[in-house]
Amino acid sequence: MSCPSTQSGEQIEPLRYLSRVEAEAIEKELLEDYKFGRQQLIEIWGHASAMAVTKVFPLPSLPRKQPTVLVVCGPDQNGAIGLVCARHLRVFEYEPTIFYPKRSLNSLYRDFTTQCEKMDIPFLSYLPTEVQLINDAYNVVIDAILGADAEPGEVKEPYTSILATLKQIRIPIVSLDVPSGWDVETGNSEGISPDVLVSLAAPKQCATRFLGRHHILAGRFLPYDVQKKFELNLPEYPGTECVVSL
Amino acid sequence: MSGLRALLGLGLLVSSGSRLAAAGGGRCPVQRVSPAGAWGAGRGRSGSAMQNPGRSGVTHLSQEEAQAIDQELFTEYKFSVDQLMELAGLSCATAIAKAYPPSSFTKSPPTVLIVCGPGNNGGDGLVCARHLKMFGYEPSVHYPKRPGKALFEGLTTQCQKMDIPFLSEFPSEAVLIDELYGLVVDAIFGFSFKGAVREPFGSILRTLEQVTVPIASIDIPSGWDVEKGSPDGLQPDMLISLTAPKKAAQHFAGRYHFLGGRFVPMALQQKYSLNLPPYPETDCVLQLP
Repeated sequence: MSCPSTQSGEQIEPLRYLSRVEAEAIEKELLEDYKFGRQQLIEIWGHASAMAVTKVFPLPSLPRKQPTVLVVCGPDQNGAIGLVCARHLRVFEYEPTIFYPKRSLNSLYRDFTTQCEKMDIPFLSYLPTEVQLINDAYNVVIDAILGADAEPGEVKEPYTSILATLKQIRIPIVSLDVPSGWDVETGNSEGISPDVLVSLAAPKQCATRFLGRHHILAGRFLPYDVQKKFELNLPEYPGTECVVSL
Repeated sequence: MSGLRALLGLGLLVSSGSRLAAAGGGRCPVQRVSPAGAWGAGRGRSGSAMQNPGRSGVTHLSQEEAQAIDQELFTEYKFSVDQLMELAGLSCATAIAKAYPPSSFTKSPPTVLIVCGPGNNGGDGLVCARHLKMFGYEPSVHYPKRPGKALFEGLTTQCQKMDIPFLSEFPSEAVLIDELYGLVVDAIFGFSFKGAVREPFGSILRTLEQVTVPIASIDIPSGWDVEKGSPDGLQPDMLISLTAPKKAAQHFAGRYHFLGGRFVPMALQQKYSLNLPPYPETDCVLQLP
């Protein structure tokens, strides 16, 4: 029971993949016209991201004895979404560890950090460059470094080194919204290759270059009028779930 | 395993708030409340004066405890009202969808009336309305007294822009409500409620008491004393207790009692000896017996 589709024919309209401009326009509309709060959106996306992770990697399926997950958070919104995701994973009884090398000075995001700390989620002080250590310690890595607003040409340290490390690990990577280091439209053949892509609200164009096993749409809150206006043609979400496999 | 110990060991941690055990030390030190612990085996119970197990072994909070927990979530844990209200409202919508799926409605489309009060309970109702719309229901909201705060204005705008109608008047008779809606959500008063019911809510509650379609109350059946309940007041079919049930829930006689608001950190659960049963998997609601 989801949004009524605009077309009445039998053919299902294809899912729309957003350009950078469209992605920005949707977010702007949500914040300015619909008056969603930024913290509210981050909470919704972080929760939905955690649900997506549990869908692909349910607790009993994890190979290691401890359900450890490494969440690597960047300095902006994508990183904040990662923090909320880590917190919900904790509630779901996973054992997340966060690596958050450059904390945002934005007071809106600072509280997300406190919430994680107060829930006893450890924060690493550095990421080992020895890849085997990461492979051994964690079941999955969540890439919450850069989002749709990032310019791949401008990736700076420490993220260039972090991404170089992530390129070599053998455990699965889940990227939130956009694989970090990828251009939001054209992707990046030299960049990381996540196993799972969690597209937030709607997929971005670079998702067409995604070669991993699972592409999940997360964040079931986009008003129908926004969906229609941008011709998103989103699939139906099952029941009351906030994630759907694409 | 020395590499793992190095990664998780003290040398690499910036946050002194971590109590994670070293590698190989067994399960996460934060205890999961097992069913045995919740239903009376005694594990996890402090025996303090705050303990007050209800029928099921889960703690029923006094008004003071409920307020203290709320305060701690905001001041110590730095949660924002926005965040918790979003999760609370989602819980309410999810619980409603479980108990009253659209297919169970005799009316089509499945229409729901949400009555929102002047405080946070009303805000929970607004979030609930929005999620019910995404779940395929047709909600309408009555929100006669709106606080002039950005949070509530934002939530109202979100609903209005999603074509959720806001009734300018409350239906004058219960039969009208029975005619138009398959379910009523009572989001009028919550756990902070004290004293007399002011208009227009007195009249609204008197009308709701006559309604025959099911009523789902958020957190506390409105008009009830938060601890003692109210034998003459609203008798909802469903109660969605947020965080933990309040003492009033012991007087709840409807069919469905759900727990929602799955965001209370384990340390806080332990501090107040909440004895919450475990939520199933990743569900944000839990049906209580």
